[in-house]
Amino acid sequence: MLRDLAKGLPGERVFLLGNEAIARGAMEGGVQIAAAYPGTPSTEILETLAQASKHLGLYVEWSTNEKVALEVALGASICGLRAMASMKHVGVNVAHDSLMTAGYMGVKGGLVVVSADDVRAWSSQNEQDNRFTAKQAYLPVLEPSNVQEAKDWTADAFELSEKFNQVFMLRTVTRINHARGDVTLGKLPKKHRKGVFRKDPSWLTHVPTTARKNRPLMIQRFKKISQAVNRLPYNSLELVDEAKLGVIACGLSYAYTLEATKWLGLDGKVSLLKVGTTHPIPEDLVKRLLSSVEEVLVVEELEPFVELHVKAIAGEENIKIKVHGKDLIPLIGELSTRKVTEALAELTKAKLPIDFSRLDQLRKETAPLIPSRPPALCPGCPHRASFYAIKTAAKSVAKNYGVEPIYPGDIGCYSLAVAPPLETVDTLISMGASIGVANGLAHVVRAPILACIGDSTFFHAGIPPLINAVYNHAKITVIVLDNLTTAMTGFQPHPGSGFTATGVKTTQLKAENVAKGCGVRFVEVADPFDSRGAIDIVQRALMFEGPSLVVFRRKCTLMELQEKRKRGEKVVPYIVDAEKCKQCGVCIKTFACPAIIKKDKNYAIDDLLCTGCGFCAEICPYEAIHLRGKEHGERI
Amino acid sequence: MVREFNIVIAGVGGQGTILMTEILGKAATIEGLKVRGSEILGMAVRGGPVSSTIRVGSEIHGPLVPEGKGDVLVGLEPTEALRNITYLSKNGIAVINTRPIIPYTVPLGLTKYPHIKNVLETLKRKSRSVIAFDATKLAKEAGTPVVVNMVMLGALSGTGKLPIKNETLKKVMKAHFSKEMARINIKAFDLGFEVSRNLAKRN
Repeated sequence: MLRDLAKGLPGERVFLLGNEAIARGAMEGGVQIAAAYPGTPSTEILETLAQASKHLGLYVEWSTNEKVALEVALGASICGLRAMASMKHVGVNVAHDSLMTAGYMGVKGGLVVVSADDVRAWSSQNEQDNRFTAKQAYLPVLEPSNVQEAKDWTADAFELSEKFNQVFMLRTVTRINHARGDVTLGKLPKKHRKGVFRKDPSWLTHVPTTARKNRPLMIQRFKKISQAVNRLPYNSLELVDEAKLGVIACGLSYAYTLEATKWLGLDGKVSLLKVGTTHPIPEDLVKRLLSSVEEVLVVEELEPFVELHVKAIAGEENIKIKVHGKDLIPLIGELSTRKVTEALAELTKAKLPIDFSRLDQLRKETAPLIPSRPPALCPGCPHRASFYAIKTAAKSVAKNYGVEPIYPGDIGCYSLAVAPPLETVDTLISMGASIGVANGLAHVVRAPILACIGDSTFFHAGIPPLINAVYNHAKITVIVLDNLTTAMTGFQPHPGSGFTATGVKTTQLKAENVAKGCGVRFVEVADPFDSRGAIDIVQRALMFEGPSLVVFRRKCTLMELQEKRKRGEKVVPYIVDAEKCKQCGVCIKTFACPAIIKKDKNYAIDDLLCTGCGFCAEICPYEAIHLRGKEHGERI
Repeated sequence: MVREFNIVIAGVGGQGTILMTEILGKAATIEGLKVRGSEILGMAVRGGPVSSTIRVGSEIHGPLVPEGKGDVLVGLEPTEALRNITYLSKNGIAVINTRPIIPYTVPLGLTKYPHIKNVLETLKRKSRSVIAFDATKLAKEAGTPVVVNMVMLGALSGTGKLPIKNETLKKVMKAHFSKEMARINIKAFDLGFEVSRNLAKRN
């Protein structure tokens, strides 16, 4: 449960999630407008701001996508207000178009973009080091090493953005966003600015002449920033007399480096440069370090970004020194104290504090005893029922084609249908790509093509490829899995939910109306829990001569249960009638709801997990599943 | 002041691992300790493995417990404890709920769940000290199986190693839950504490 951080008093010590700290930092830094699209690990930043919005008089919104979020923030900045757009690393790709020109423009009100880079792709389709994006757009980057810094530096970033007239990027990694720590709060500003729009096409209207005028200005501003970072408190150099080794530790890596040097007994024996501004790096401090040691190790997460710059400085300054980095610090996976310890031990020949190979051996030995535990759609999830119907319908129609149906998939809870027994996610690339890829497939192969996309993802990036299908005659069937929320990231509302980030009622857009407006001629709505009806609709959609769209609509079960609890309603679970059950296994083999369990040969339903949706009763060929307390399978 | 105390909590999505982390962190903050922690959300909450860390002490910096440095490994599920066993230090204690949670892939025939005896024996062989009991049963005794996380929080404290006072933990619990839920959760905590303290004495 996120707390209302607007109520925290200056000097108060509180235990915060990294994202809560960033949100509080934004409040302390005088943010007045914040926009975002949910995405792990960035989501709680905007959620926390939304909670504080009323108290502090902020405008906070969930935008339809990250590009829009950035543009909302940009609009506010142009009018002189401090603004923030927060997003996960791949969200920055969506915002990239506007971000590049924003770099040319600079700011009026401080503008901060948070890029939450999901290292190890805990909840993402790839890994990305967005410091490269920042470099391309000439944006300075602040990279905090702990939760307190995440708060403090976010607050500072607004001031710096205005001082240097440039958009600032706060780059975090999962282990900052989803780290927790004790944080001392700062002051909240008392004054609010009033935004004013002043026409200035030579600044704001990026026709080619403006672009050509703004580019040298942007480069000049960046030069000033490059000078200033040497004196900013986010970087610090500790030179140790006669140290042979220097370590350059960037962002969170600084925390791992401090622990590793201590563990190895090297603290006070190596020179250490902490880099909090990883773009541009503090060149003067780097030069001082390079000239004082024999070898340098750059410790950073993901790509060798700072390492490349350090090597360039060494070359430029003709300093003969070996610069280590990704030769010793793995490119793959998250960093850890162990990885930094091993790299430092290799360089210094120091004895390892513990025998890590013993731990690796232990992992190997115990591995056969550890079952794989892939995440699954929740018990009672309407998506599971939807996919059951989609698959059944697609298979029957596919017989006419003599090939298997193809299911281009998308990003959300329903991505989990990739696993057996559903196996209905054949591709997963980026937000909206299910429909885009389906367009391409339709012009290449003759098969039933079913692009499956969630409601929030549909509004985010699904509409242009849908229009493309209509325009270019792509015979595809688009399935919108509408559970009325952005479920995967924790139930954030979207344009189809009917209310905003701050709970204000609003127009509830419906995917079917959008599709009709886009020129799709076959549009129907199905109920996931009415399998017969849903199968019929999908069959007809697949047989339609042009692009077709079917909305599967049912509220997310977790939300439904929460509302039931609030209303004081009890969930009545289903049970398996042992006498009627023939142990055919259809329920598990085709549906695999986690609430259906098998004890030896007997099937049963876990009454703690069962949500009472009754779908398993519908598909049981022997009518062996029924509501507890009822003789016959009668659904509620 | 404690210099470094590392806790790794391992469980399955939905068991309340994160809430346990939050209560520990808040209590440690109240006691004036430096606290760091981390957790994995997202895909993992849908029934997948969930692990979180809580670290307290003057010499900690990073959010993650370094491998081989864990003082206590709390396993809300036995195989999830085993998945994280390399985090435990040589002298570390494993506090384990012996009640298995079978992944949905087992009835599908895609994976096997090991014999529970085998898991516990391996845990015992590979760590210096193991406190293992059926925490789910105690949670039911307290009122509902969902409070298994608080049974395990009590058990963590029952080891006698946790540098945070029970009364501070309970204070945080009271602030977090409604009155009735606080009563059930504290009862669960006390049950876990007693069992663990008795087992720890025997070790």
